Amino acid sequence: MPVSNDELRGLYYYANLVRQVDERCRRLFKQGRFHGTYFSAVGQEATVVGPCYGLRPDDVIGIQHREIGAVITKGMPIRYLMAQLFARQDSPDKGKSHPCHYGWKPAGIITPASTIAAQTVIVTGCALAWKIQKKDNVTIAFVGEGATSNGVWHEALNFAGVHKLACVFVVQDNLWAESVPKRLGVPVDNLSERARAYGFPGVTIDGNDMIQTYETSQEAIRRARRGDGPTLIEMKTYRWYGHSEIDPANYRTQEELEAWKKKDPVPRFERVLMERGIIDEAYKQSTLQKIEREIEEAIEFAEKSPHPDPSSLMEDVYAPLA
Amino acid sequence: MKTMEPTTAPPAAAPDVKTMTLIEAITQGLHEEMERDERIFLIGEDIASYGGVFKATRGLYEKFGPLRVIDSPISENFLVQGMVGAAIVGLIPSPEIQFDDFISLAVDGIVEHAAKMRYRSGGMFTCPMVIRCCCGAAVGGGLFHSQFNASWFMHAPGLVVVAPSNPYDAKGLLKSAFRGQNPVLYYEHKRLYRTVKGPVPQHDYTVPLGKASVVREGSHVTVVSYALMLQRSLEAAEKLAAEGIEVEVIDLRTLAPYDKETILASVEKTARAVVVYESSRTMGVGAEIGAMIAEDGFSFLDAPVRRVSPPDAPQEPFAPVLADQYLPDANRIAQAIRDTVAY
Repeated sequence: MPVSNDELRGLYYYANLVRQVDERCRRLFKQGRFHGTYFSAVGQEATVVGPCYGLRPDDVIGIQHREIGAVITKGMPIRYLMAQLFARQDSPDKGKSHPCHYGWKPAGIITPASTIAAQTVIVTGCALAWKIQKKDNVTIAFVGEGATSNGVWHEALNFAGVHKLACVFVVQDNLWAESVPKRLGVPVDNLSERARAYGFPGVTIDGNDMIQTYETSQEAIRRARRGDGPTLIEMKTYRWYGHSEIDPANYRTQEELEAWKKKDPVPRFERVLMERGIIDEAYKQSTLQKIEREIEEAIEFAEKSPHPDPSSLMEDVYAPLA
Repeated sequence: MKTMEPTTAPPAAAPDVKTMTLIEAITQGLHEEMERDERIFLIGEDIASYGGVFKATRGLYEKFGPLRVIDSPISENFLVQGMVGAAIVGLIPSPEIQFDDFISLAVDGIVEHAAKMRYRSGGMFTCPMVIRCCCGAAVGGGLFHSQFNASWFMHAPGLVVVAPSNPYDAKGLLKSAFRGQNPVLYYEHKRLYRTVKGPVPQHDYTVPLGKASVVREGSHVTVVSYALMLQRSLEAAEKLAAEGIEVEVIDLRTLAPYDKETILASVEKTARAVVVYESSRTMGVGAEIGAMIAEDGFSFLDAPVRRVSPPDAPQEPFAPVLADQYLPDANRIAQAIRDTVAY
């Protein structure tokens, strides 16, 4: 199915929105406007916008701290995302969890914990439930290549393979698991090879090519939705900044970083759309202005939101016992 | 001085009451709850056509089919953590951990995900699930088929931990667990499966979570216990009755969050307390109950709170002569009670 111009413009909007929000969040943290830390995914936009664009609200995504782009594309309003970073009352987690543990029930985004790969296990359980309920929802579980070394990731993919669950497993191979290089984490170049061991297809693609991440994901989502089982998609990409904003990332070379910055997925996608005449300079400017307004509105919302009431410390520990 | 049935249990002679073993009560409870609510499904190792290694899930696969009684690969982490996802999208999963000795592989799912889901999501997501876990020593299981690690999970706010001592409570607590919104870790003591029998109503009833039960009234000393140790405490109380010591025995039933009020009301009356529990001694259930009584009931006490437990050995060893040294029996419990009363 060829990608329509409307879809391409939609992807363009989210690619830019995600990029702009991410860069602004970094700046807000550096300005001391929120505490803790911030996990940027700048450079990796295509690995999340492509898979999440066009999902249904009742589809579920499994995310971790770096999936801000997945969260935005799946439909979490950025004002609530900002309220979460600012740990305010209007944060969906009411200030309980962590700045980058985004969750938003109306859009099927499950608030994560910090154990890496756990999100894959949880959303695979969602897919089991849909099989029992005879529903055609799908889930996409995002991890970095580092998480694939965790035993629980294997347990989830194995189970999904046995029961042919409606799962798309996305591995964002960004070459670094925090500070540990890929060569010390996994003994194969292409992690998609692992899919064979679970009895479903695996594919490795250019994770900085928006059209490719979208088309490949769409095919995997259609396959999952019609009951044909999971797909593993490995997307080669790179994170520009440190593991979080308190990490100078001096374990890698400037040359490596510069080489990847030349493959920046956002302007690369923009060039394709310009060349095809799908967008023009005026469209670009109006899109960026719209995004700027949305971000300003979101920050204002978050900063005006009150801090959680101290008395809410013990709220939501238990549901009523009886 | 009188021996009582668990406070909420009916007389065995009532027309719709059957005498059942603990495991029969659990199996019946599972049948009834799965009939009542089609959102409930079971997943575990060897639980489907095999019926579970202890046969607790006997007949359920035949009745409810492969989508509601699922044999799992040997993946304890997935078994629990994956089911958090199933709960979030509207089902009520009941994973079975075959032996508590394997639960360490599922701790992330239980503690970081099931227990914290409600809190970490600001109440957006709840995680109703019943994790059934077979536990306990005194069956010759050796180091790795005998553990009872309940105290680990009393340190996980958001999780309800249940450990019944008799068939009536077993079925009633199971039903309450399936009808609530909290994740429940439901412990089944394998020594009690077929050694304890009691009256079980055949009509629908529940036993409330978070409420202890005074199973024997007495005025000289309070004994707080649960599961197998509760049964042995009752034996000890019976021995001591002949010596003129009236023991009040409290069955915690729910270990977390536990019923402070019932314990404190009893200690206010008796002025003495002994906690009898099954796990290594240090930081066990007795540490919490003892500290709570010392903190909130200090003025009631005429004697130090005493703990009766296995020693700080890793678990009940396999060699029978060693195993015999491990778990407290009724004599050891009785001696600790005598010492407390004589203090």
